[in-house]
Amino acid sequence: MKSKKSKILSLFLLSFVLLFSGCNYGGDSSSTTSSGEGSEETTTGPRKGGKVTIPIVADPTFNPWHPNAYAESNVINRVIFSGLTQPGKDLLPAPDLAKEWSTSEDGLEWTFILRDDVKWHDGEKFTAEDVAFTFNEVALNKKLGANNSSYFQKLKEVQVVDDYTVKFILASPVAALPAYLSFNTEIIPKHIFEGQDPWELTSFNKQKPVGTGSFKIKSYTSGQTVVLERNDDYYGEKVYLDEVEYKVLADANTHVAQVLSGELSIFALDDLAAIDRIKNAEGVEVVARDTTRFFWIILNQQMEQFQDVKVRQAVLHAIDRQNIIDTVLKGYGTIADTGIAPALKEYYTDDVKRYEYDPEQAKKLLSEAGLKDTNGDGLLEKDGKTFTIDFKIGIQGDIEAVSQMVQQYLKAVGLDVKLNTMEWNAMIQDVVVKRNYEMSLNWWRYPSDPDLSAYMHSANVKGNNIPAYQNAELDKLLDAGAQESDVGKRKEIYVEAQKMMAEQLPYIFLWYPQEAQVRVKKLKGVPDLAFGDALHYINEWYIEE
Amino acid sequence: MLRFMINRAGQSAILLLIVTLITFFLVNLAPGGPASTMRMEATEEERQAIVEKLGLDQPVHIRYVEWLKNALQGDLGTSFTSSEPVIQRIMERLPYTIELTIFTIVISVILGIFFGVISTVKRGKAGDHVINFVSVIGLSVPAFWLGLMLILLFSITFKWLPSSGVGPRGAEFELWGWISHLIMPVLILTTTVLPHIVRFTRSSMLEVTSQNYIRTARAKGAKESVVLYVHALRNALIPIITIIGMLIPRLLSGAVITEAIFGWTGIGTLIIDAARGRDYPLVMGITVMITIVVVFCNLIVDFLYSRVDPRVKNV
Repeated sequence: MKSKKSKILSLFLLSFVLLFSGCNYGGDSSSTTSSGEGSEETTTGPRKGGKVTIPIVADPTFNPWHPNAYAESNVINRVIFSGLTQPGKDLLPAPDLAKEWSTSEDGLEWTFILRDDVKWHDGEKFTAEDVAFTFNEVALNKKLGANNSSYFQKLKEVQVVDDYTVKFILASPVAALPAYLSFNTEIIPKHIFEGQDPWELTSFNKQKPVGTGSFKIKSYTSGQTVVLERNDDYYGEKVYLDEVEYKVLADANTHVAQVLSGELSIFALDDLAAIDRIKNAEGVEVVARDTTRFFWIILNQQMEQFQDVKVRQAVLHAIDRQNIIDTVLKGYGTIADTGIAPALKEYYTDDVKRYEYDPEQAKKLLSEAGLKDTNGDGLLEKDGKTFTIDFKIGIQGDIEAVSQMVQQYLKAVGLDVKLNTMEWNAMIQDVVVKRNYEMSLNWWRYPSDPDLSAYMHSANVKGNNIPAYQNAELDKLLDAGAQESDVGKRKEIYVEAQKMMAEQLPYIFLWYPQEAQVRVKKLKGVPDLAFGDALHYINEWYIEE
Repeated sequence: MLRFMINRAGQSAILLLIVTLITFFLVNLAPGGPASTMRMEATEEERQAIVEKLGLDQPVHIRYVEWLKNALQGDLGTSFTSSEPVIQRIMERLPYTIELTIFTIVISVILGIFFGVISTVKRGKAGDHVINFVSVIGLSVPAFWLGLMLILLFSITFKWLPSSGVGPRGAEFELWGWISHLIMPVLILTTTVLPHIVRFTRSSMLEVTSQNYIRTARAKGAKESVVLYVHALRNALIPIITIIGMLIPRLLSGAVITEAIFGWTGIGTLIIDAARGRDYPLVMGITVMITIVVVFCNLIVDFLYSRVDPRVKNV
């Protein structure tokens, strides 16, 4: 009896040992495959082979114009497809499918000369017809509600001049056109989409996209992975990587865990709470990158009580932005004065009105605006009633943490701010769709162009000018900038515009966040750009053993 | 028997109707909608185009009737977010959840009954206390925390197990690749399921072993193992089957947290995607599927009762 028991026990132990030695073996083999195959030679410098793995948070849609193509789709689509232009390494528009472009005297006609050596992944030739189809039939088709079609509101049509020349005909000049053409507005193949509903063509959008980019689809498993393989017929510079794999991982904690275990190669970290752990890890690095984004607070300008500029200026003086940047953002951000980010080196200026953290100045401005604490409860009143502000925000990234600090800072100067934290889509419904809000906090990301008309021009009060800010002088500057295509002259206009933005605060500008780009050290050749822009140069990336 | 089946089918149909009705109105009346899940930059025009395309400009009760009409003909509609049939999207994911469920239930039942019986035999002694203590811990530790700790230990520190995914499938299937991906999610799910079975086995066994016929069995000199496993356990099974019958639908409807942490592409992660993307048809489809699973499991449990204990007649 006794011996039988001990036999069973030892068998049990043995199987355990085997199981775990098995684990070890299997784990090792899988980690070498993920770090690149066929790496016998150990030369330095770029070399062919290997793969990178990138996390995405949900299933993608392989169609840049599809209304469901969110961030997780953008990072794939800009690798599979190509636009007429792409963001250059200086963020000015650079050639991609278009070799060169020019504009007519009056700025109403843009002529793009296309490359004649481009093939779709299925072997068909890329021509001007594809460009005309993409814009005329998809982007400009009002019934479709295509993504990013708002950039092309002034576009009347695209004309085919010959096989490799197209003309963009505008209703009024748009100097930012080449920049817009580099931002999630890639060209899709006419020979596949013609006569189809572009949103219903699931064989393309959900299975086998056909693009012109440096990588083409190899396999896609819903909820798991998208694997792209090198396109050997790519028209651009030589491509080094064999494969690009996108893993669907909804949870941000998993992204951190997987880059530490070597299963992911590169991504932009949203939640900076884990940054120290990543920085201390071996084989992983974090670099800070400027982006064309700005964080803002808005006070609804359709409500009379927020129309006094002194109220907006007071809010800015009341908030210790540097402290929020240091604590919540872990230093990944610089104080903003206007909407034009320092990433746009050609246009940015810091020679504008600045708002130091100064609660006393804030109180003074508020009192000048008629807000006084008459009953001694520490909160300001207007016309005998406590001045309360309903502060609606959506849960995403660090918005909630930031908003809580903002609420405390505003309370300190006597503003009774009620924080109303909502689920993201519910917030969009209230703040963006219905405009039913008093105060909100969020951020914009925009194409690499200083034209911010969409966000603060009075013509866009129903569009993305969510605060409903209206100022004829600012409109004039924004219009002039939008129409001037000479960079030097444009800069002068936008310096003026920035001065006015800082003075008038259509948005209460908070900071320009920097991207914390996390990547494994053996991944090389990534240009010094934000992750999203660096993807345009994925052909230059390589793995160094 | 036939009458019983007809009765049950009728009850189930009514249940299904009520569940779909409530779910339909709840998801449709929740703030936000497909048009607000678009990018923040989307213009009024772009949002309106989506609303019209998806037929959301119709009043909600008309849409429900329309949905029900199609559903009765076996058409659960088309997913808003992917334009693929809802049934296809569910069927793509269901096998993975079934896989997790089978492993979890088999392991939990075997270990659960084993430990439950031990706990009964050693009642009041150290063994019983240890099992009880571990069960309570298993029940109280949150899955997301334990999951992350396991990843930290096995994937990051030791690099033994992959931290997420379902492993290579299809042509590239490989046994170790499959098992290594299964270990952690199954372990997490087992810690949530196993304690239930242990505790139910224990209390049920304690009740049965105090019965007269057990004393008789012992008195006539039957071996203790025979008394426990043949005489006692069989009679103690009914509550255990009930709890298993409740646990299976819970697992099949997707262990949302566990699946999300380990990137396991089952029904749980699909539910998250559907809710996040305000994919109404998909939410409805999953609801119908889960309801059917629950109804079906209850039916099986009722049927098993009569097999285990012939005294129970199908009433």
